[in-house]
Amino acid sequence: MSVLSNPSTSSAALTPAPRASSIDVPGRNRSLARRRLGRTLIFASMILMAVVMLYPFAVMILVSFKTNAQYLIGHGSSTQTWRQINANLPVWQELWNSTVVCTLSIAIILVIGVMAGFSFAKLQFRGGNVVFLGIVSAMMVPLQAILIPEFVNIAKTGLTNNYLGAVVVYAALGTPFSIFLFTTYFRRIPDELIEAGIVDGLGYWGVLWRLALPMALPAIATVTVLQFIQIWDDLLVGLLFLQNPGERTITVGLAALAAGHTTSIPLLMAGSLVSALPAMIVYLLFQRFLVRGLTMGIDR
Amino acid sequence: MSLSASLSASTNARRRPQSSLLVKRRRRVGVLLVVPALVLVGLLIVYPIAQAVYYSFTNWDGLTTQWVGPSAWVQAFHNPTMWTALKNNAELLLSVPFALGIPLLVAVMLHQRVAGWKIFRSIYFLPTAISWVVIGLVAEHFFAYSGTLNSLLSDIGLSSVHTNMLGQENEALIALGITFIFSMIGTNTMLFLTGLATLDPSLEEAARIDGAGAWRIFRHITLPHLSRFIQLAFVMTVISAFSALFSLIFVMTGGGPGYSTTTMEFLVYQTGFNQSQFGTAALYGIILFVITALVGVVQLRLIGAKDS
Amino acid sequence: MAEINFDRVVKVYPGGNTAVQDFSLQVADGEFMVLVGPSGCGKTTALRMIAGLEEVSDGTISIGGRVVNNVLPKDRDIAMVFQNYALYPQMTVAQNMGFALKIRNVAKDEITRRVAETAKILRLSEYLDRRPKALSGGQRQRVAMGRAIVREPQAFLMDEPLSNLDAQLRVEMRTEISRIQRLLGVATIYVTHDQTEAMTMGDRVAVMRGGVLQQVATPEDLYDHPANSFVAGFIGSPPMNLLSATVVEVEGALSARFGDQSVAVPGHYRESHHLSEYVTRPLLLGVRPEDLVLATPGVEGRFSATVTLREALGSEILAHLNFGGEDAIVSDEVAAASPGAHSSRIVARLGARAQVLVGERLELTLNPERLHFFDTSTGVTLARTR
Ligand SMILES: Nc1ncnc2c1ncn2[C@@H]1O[C@H](COP(=O)(O)OP(=O)(O)O)[C@@H](O)[C@H]1O
Ligand SMILES: [Mg+2]
Repeated sequence: MSVLSNPSTSSAALTPAPRASSIDVPGRNRSLARRRLGRTLIFASMILMAVVMLYPFAVMILVSFKTNAQYLIGHGSSTQTWRQINANLPVWQELWNSTVVCTLSIAIILVIGVMAGFSFAKLQFRGGNVVFLGIVSAMMVPLQAILIPEFVNIAKTGLTNNYLGAVVVYAALGTPFSIFLFTTYFRRIPDELIEAGIVDGLGYWGVLWRLALPMALPAIATVTVLQFIQIWDDLLVGLLFLQNPGERTITVGLAALAAGHTTSIPLLMAGSLVSALPAMIVYLLFQRFLVRGLTMGIDR
Repeated sequence: MSLSASLSASTNARRRPQSSLLVKRRRRVGVLLVVPALVLVGLLIVYPIAQAVYYSFTNWDGLTTQWVGPSAWVQAFHNPTMWTALKNNAELLLSVPFALGIPLLVAVMLHQRVAGWKIFRSIYFLPTAISWVVIGLVAEHFFAYSGTLNSLLSDIGLSSVHTNMLGQENEALIALGITFIFSMIGTNTMLFLTGLATLDPSLEEAARIDGAGAWRIFRHITLPHLSRFIQLAFVMTVISAFSALFSLIFVMTGGGPGYSTTTMEFLVYQTGFNQSQFGTAALYGIILFVITALVGVVQLRLIGAKDS
Repeated sequence: MAEINFDRVVKVYPGGNTAVQDFSLQVADGEFMVLVGPSGCGKTTALRMIAGLEEVSDGTISIGGRVVNNVLPKDRDIAMVFQNYALYPQMTVAQNMGFALKIRNVAKDEITRRVAETAKILRLSEYLDRRPKALSGGQRQRVAMGRAIVREPQAFLMDEPLSNLDAQLRVEMRTEISRIQRLLGVATIYVTHDQTEAMTMGDRVAVMRGGVLQQVATPEDLYDHPANSFVAGFIGSPPMNLLSATVVEVEGALSARFGDQSVAVPGHYRESHHLSEYVTRPLLLGVRPEDLVLATPGVEGRFSATVTLREALGSEILAHLNFGGEDAIVSDEVAAASPGAHSSRIVARLGARAQVLVGERLELTLNPERLHFFDTSTGVTLARTR
């Protein structure tokens, strides 16, 4: 398995005794030494990789504690950028905007996804499979392919002047995946459980909300975490569909600030850190749901 | 008796069975539950595709439409900027092997479970949580004239080599590609690590007892096992290369210098929102759609292969 | 509480597969009716049609005199126990049991009272706050029962409720379910493929095969008077021996020939079993293993066979015997009508102390009062209906 030759230490310890004793002592020492070297090399590479992957965070932290002048000359530190951040980038307002947009979009994605997923998985109706395939294929449509008509349509309804413009677009983009995930998930619930509910006196509507939904909590968590990170981090939809600057999300605000070109790098880094923190916290808390969602459908 | 039984069976088979109340309810609720999804996806994804096709044959500024016909497409294909964008996309695909190879290596290292591997795992995945806008801003700092890359170069005694990759027509795309590779590492590593976790360790052990070396084990056991995961990562990475770079380009280069980092997806945005040529922008969108659809078909095949 | 009535019920699945044919059955109020038959014979389908989970293609099903073909499951007032229990995983035992009542807006106190009462009957009181996951198989099974009982329904429907339990627990729960059913006196339809369960639990047993009802009778009747060779071969363990035989009449006396053996048949069978019409025609002779007796020397009607296998069960010995010559193969037609029919093999149930050795040749007689005769091609019993 390893590229860098190292059977794990545990399996080395489990090597059957006769086999071990049949190897002469110097040779055995050499192979042990090679293993140790291999593991040391791996460890060193992993440290190096960690440095690379942590680089953005280091830059954000270090640079944000400089003034623009200190950044340009290359040394010194200050909390000035942080103290003045709100004057250049309305972080609190934009964090709030991000929260509102995420919450509304995810709510729609969950409700529609749960309903359709339950239907596709358990309430076979004629043509259901075709409709399911159609919706799942919509996952493949890149936003840019429909961006222009989408923008014109939404702008015509006036929704770009409030949160809803972005919310409906995020909801539409997130729904196909959510439906796919919930369908896969609900298919695992045995039919007998649903029939037990029917015999107990529920209708299909009741079965969905009172039996299936409580069983789908892990899938709900997965969709929520994935979509939260997706929407929180998105630029394009927010940039176009939130025309009112007071309703920009933090990511859009940051990109707009960067596009200004007059801005100081320390300020951008401070803003970056603010925008990144919520998603990172969610990510660290719910890592396993993220992994599950990402590999859904392939590791069954 | 057996004759009459088979007779009644066949008449019953011929008569379409009357659906029971419960089945009718099931179908009705089934349809109702799908309606919101159909409306949302239909109005906001399917319908705009049709619109995009229509508007690709027009001159359109968002308000007034003027029918042009097929010559709109002919014009587009004579537009050198589009070919530049397509060429940029093609060149960016050169980053795909790195965006898969590095994560594969990282995943295999993580799978050795050396001391602290769980912490390393979290560190490697952490950038997947942050916006590519943020990554782009950091990358800008890295590649800038007074940025990290140049100070690293001077640290190792190469101060004469002073780069300005984002400012050079022939280097900006490379900088963009490198940033793209960095951005894909977390996701792909996560995929491969999940794949490795499903590998039965007794297979490796058996091979090792048979005297297979590390490379042979990797080549003949690990890689074949990971093939589905590699295929999936490949498709996702290629689709990302075509449709997820907007944020990076927007903050790092704005498509420049010149058109040197303008990809198809960015061209759609520029043509539509900087030049107000909505018809042409829609046309570019369709081309992008066709390209990703081809890749998408491959992915559906993969999902299909797994289902059967 | 109510009786359940199937009237010429047919079930054709979409795709044309006929699972139940022309099925008529009356289950009396308070009766414990067992539906038994080999796997795939349509038992589950029949049960699900009563529950309303499967539509009825033809005929009518009524509960308490009301035709329910077009009544939703929730309005049928029946409770069902599923094979894999189908307990709601996110609810505690108490919540599982009270769920149906909660849906029907029964007052909280009343739910608590009834759940507690039922839990007591089922010895589940200590587990009311546990989730199904934290229960053993037997406990889960009892919760599934409890969920049905709490509702005080018109009827219980149970689909192989014991098949997921280990052998010992199965025997325990068998008596437990019978006890509770008798206690509550609610009409129950119990589906199983296990003839032992059917015989020990049912007030009456309905045997099905290939979607067709074969016979409905009390366990004793089923055992002593099987309506056809299928029922004869299905009920009993080991099942009835079915021998391809010919009845011949020599000087007014009847005898049955099978293999190279011949045994005398008492004259009264001529009347009670239409035997006159079958003289010299092939038929099936049925003998229960316990109706084969080791012959005391000098007794009339002896025949001999070689022991090929000896199964000592402690309380008895099962001797597998072969009498002379080749194992003549029965025709396809006979095999289809009567699986298990043979011409030269036979199983005898002998006393625990019987001296039997493999390879030894035994002298046996048949209990002449307990012979069964079946038509070869239809498998139907030759006994006149009593
Ligand atoms: N949903 C269905 N669609 C088509 N055929 C079915 C369905 N369910 C059962 N069958 C068929 O109907 C027959 C009877 O099945 P079932 O009632 O489950 O038998 P049992 O419970 O006696 O084992 C079988 O041949 C089975 O394959
Ligand atoms: Mg069954």
